[in-house]
Amino acid sequence: MNNKLLELAEWTIKTAKNAGADDCRVTINGERFVEISYRERKPENIKEASTKSLYIEIFKNGKYSGQTTSDLRKEALSNFISNAVRMTDLLAKDPYRSLPDKKYYGSIENIDLELYDEKIKSINPEDRHKLVQTIEDACLSVGGSKVISVEAGTYDSSFEMVMMTSNGFSGYQNGTVLYAYAGMTARDEGDRRPNGYDYALVMKKSELPNPIDIGRNAAKRTLDLFGGKKISSQKLPIIIENRVVPRILNGFISAMYGRSIQQKQSFLVDKKNQRIGSEKFTLIDDPFIKGSQGSKLFDNDGFASKKRIMIENGILKEYYIDWYYSRKMNCEPTTGSPSNIIIPKGNRSIEEIMRDLGKGILITDFIGGNSNSTTGDFSVGIIGKLFEKGELTQSISEMNIAGNYLEFCQKLIEVGNDPFIYSSQKTPSLVFNDVMVSGV
Amino acid sequence: MSISRRSFLKTTATAMAGSAAIPIINNRLFKLKGADMQNYFEREFGISEALCQKALQVALSRGGDFADLYFEHTISNYVILEDGKVNRAYSEVSLGVGIRTVKGDQVGYGFTQELEKESILAAASTSATIANASNNNPNKEIIKLKLENYYPLKRLLTEIPLESKLPLVQGVNDKCFSLSPLVKKVNAGFADEQKRIMIVTSDGVLVEDLLPRSYLYVTVLAEKNGRRERSGWNIGGRRDFSFYTGNIINEISQKAVDRVLVLFEAVQPPAGEIPVVLGPGVTGILLHEAVGHGLEADFNRKKISTYSDMIGKKVAEPEVTIIDDGTNPELLGSINVDDEGTPGQKTILVDKGILSSYMHDKISARFYKVKPTGNGRRESYQHYVQPRMRNTYMLGGSASPEEVIKSVEKGIYVEDVSNGQVKIGEGDFAFYVSQGKMIENGKLTAPIKDINIMGNGPKMLANITMVGNDLQMYQGGGGACGKGGQSVPVGFGLPTVLVKSMTVGGVK
Repeated sequence: MNNKLLELAEWTIKTAKNAGADDCRVTINGERFVEISYRERKPENIKEASTKSLYIEIFKNGKYSGQTTSDLRKEALSNFISNAVRMTDLLAKDPYRSLPDKKYYGSIENIDLELYDEKIKSINPEDRHKLVQTIEDACLSVGGSKVISVEAGTYDSSFEMVMMTSNGFSGYQNGTVLYAYAGMTARDEGDRRPNGYDYALVMKKSELPNPIDIGRNAAKRTLDLFGGKKISSQKLPIIIENRVVPRILNGFISAMYGRSIQQKQSFLVDKKNQRIGSEKFTLIDDPFIKGSQGSKLFDNDGFASKKRIMIENGILKEYYIDWYYSRKMNCEPTTGSPSNIIIPKGNRSIEEIMRDLGKGILITDFIGGNSNSTTGDFSVGIIGKLFEKGELTQSISEMNIAGNYLEFCQKLIEVGNDPFIYSSQKTPSLVFNDVMVSGV
Repeated sequence: MSISRRSFLKTTATAMAGSAAIPIINNRLFKLKGADMQNYFEREFGISEALCQKALQVALSRGGDFADLYFEHTISNYVILEDGKVNRAYSEVSLGVGIRTVKGDQVGYGFTQELEKESILAAASTSATIANASNNNPNKEIIKLKLENYYPLKRLLTEIPLESKLPLVQGVNDKCFSLSPLVKKVNAGFADEQKRIMIVTSDGVLVEDLLPRSYLYVTVLAEKNGRRERSGWNIGGRRDFSFYTGNIINEISQKAVDRVLVLFEAVQPPAGEIPVVLGPGVTGILLHEAVGHGLEADFNRKKISTYSDMIGKKVAEPEVTIIDDGTNPELLGSINVDDEGTPGQKTILVDKGILSSYMHDKISARFYKVKPTGNGRRESYQHYVQPRMRNTYMLGGSASPEEVIKSVEKGIYVEDVSNGQVKIGEGDFAFYVSQGKMIENGKLTAPIKDINIMGNGPKMLANITMVGNDLQMYQGGGGACGKGGQSVPVGFGLPTVLVKSMTVGGVK
């Protein structure tokens, strides 16, 4: 626990109330990070700094505003706060805006989420450079004569956060992050220069994979893109590789937010407790996974974290509703945003599934695309491999899939056994049947 | 923290609304008249030339080739209307200095949010660590650079009281509801940002600039026969506040409502390869993705770009001329000076079909032994410089827009694009069409929406077979381009253009 941050938060609340605020919530963040990258076996970029910021939300006479500053000197801050309170007074009243009723804060679980690792905080420059050199070497050696350019790097950070409200909430979280990556560009036939990458992001140093594997995988994933071309438009089964599932899933999740529902910008309006996907579609929000990026003991409203089944066997069970939109919609709040997203893993590897399906497309990346949360329509470019008789045969590029989430999620026929661990969205590979893939 | 060399672009204002707290500060400290644009950081924060010299000396103490200091003070404000009332507002103050040391193509970078001498010198010694030799010295004399001003202000945005912004947002809301009974929800907002920068370089240049940026936006949700659709519009740029008149309120509202109502008639286009006509204006995103990123010199210096051996070669038909320009009055991508001290300018990238120049920062200019083109940009003092686009556009050709459309028997007409992405090395790109029309027998017919269109940059460029005479620049204020984890405001423009063939992602 950092007493200085807590004291500053307390002082900020007192200052805001003295300036005329009825209530306020203050969030203070601090971070120290180092970022390095290598190219051609020498450092290309080295960056190191500390940042801090203070965010204060002011509630006055039914009016609301939020203000951020990085200037934490008390005199500057005092001016900043009184300006902010004056400004808030000029806005329209909003009867739904308030700090949460205290009973919703509940009691924060007394568990260690293992988000902080002294071993990351104490990485020294020599270790850091060695780590990057190892990744770069591994990538270069697998890439061989095909390599045009390799970039490898790390980012490590230690951060802490305090949140405090004028009606009695106080929370603290610290953590560390270590991110290591490699990207390779290689010479394919013609003038194509495919670029692939691999990475790992961990909060405990012991969970970092062998750096050699990061480099090798980046090279392998790049070489896998060789010969990419489009095939004819047709309906096929597709497998979306674990790590890129969030690109498709995020459009779906954005439609689950209280704001989207209340503003009717969601295809999931009035769909609670109804079927919105196949039996295979289950989605859990779990804030308590140790050492995972999305883990937290309290949310942005200060509500104590809770594990929730959001979608169960294709039935929509919950929305992400924060305090404000719960008041607007006259319902109970859940939590305003996702923590860790879990799709329970299935029994088979993607190799086994491919053998079973015979022909289809394994999607390893997306390009461009977007979705319309109001209607559920989406369209996105795909990159990956065609498989035939269970074997990968042809790289594909410049192709596209499109549809509507409500129909698409009905086509989910299987979930792989391979959740991606280096993200807060621990999604396994997903298999969809009968998808229109457009190309030539 | 970037994963790979991907680039993406978003034009929607709502992209901003999604991120936590942005922009209401009206600070009495910053009441300045035109004449005292200069010496801002000295006056407000006591940053002296002597301190800058000292910091540069420390930055070069281990032998970098050159170094620079980038001071920034940005104040941004954002007011939002939901359910009929302007009932929330956000603001942010950002202050700091970034210090860069360059050795060959290697960059050391440190920054601090505290403008005290000790903190600045500590950041300078962090940046110095990239080099490993005996010390180098900055130029002893500092010359103050005078600039053209492509975005003059009558009043500082920080002087505009919140009371003046509220009627704009309320006005858009009321107008939208008055235009159609089908309109059920309106979200509107006004965002403004005032960024002051000072750059001091070890080769002895000091330059200051004040970059305004603002926009008014609306998204409208309409309901018809139990179906819902949503669309929106925004107008802005590096504008003076007096730009936002009743006419602008009416234009934004009318466009947004027209655009949402047409969606109820939308049909699904056929999937596969078909001719695509790009209407004028915001479709310039296609140029940005398909051609622009590949011409940023860092990708070419590293041989990553598909255009890296193409200077002097034919890449398009003679009717195609593509320009990247920092000097367009009041557009989003305009800059009086880039973020490493090179004055704003105009760069011809493709000259009558021949690839003529990349976009350079100082590092790539030294590599190619050319002058920097003023494309060295960064998101903030927390970021180092990269070659980036400004306003990217294609000059108009000889055909009328009607002739271009008439030449297509069956195809797609693109009216609005929301975002795009490119893979630099392959040249493959995609952009998301939020609105368009079918073309059947040379005529615009049923509306279409929500389709991703894909292509390959060099192939697409060669496939532009007709160029209209109606160049339009995008007048929105929400366009931001992402690269290497940094976001910068950019502009774009395009005349009506025919591309022989692209892959349209439909479901049929």
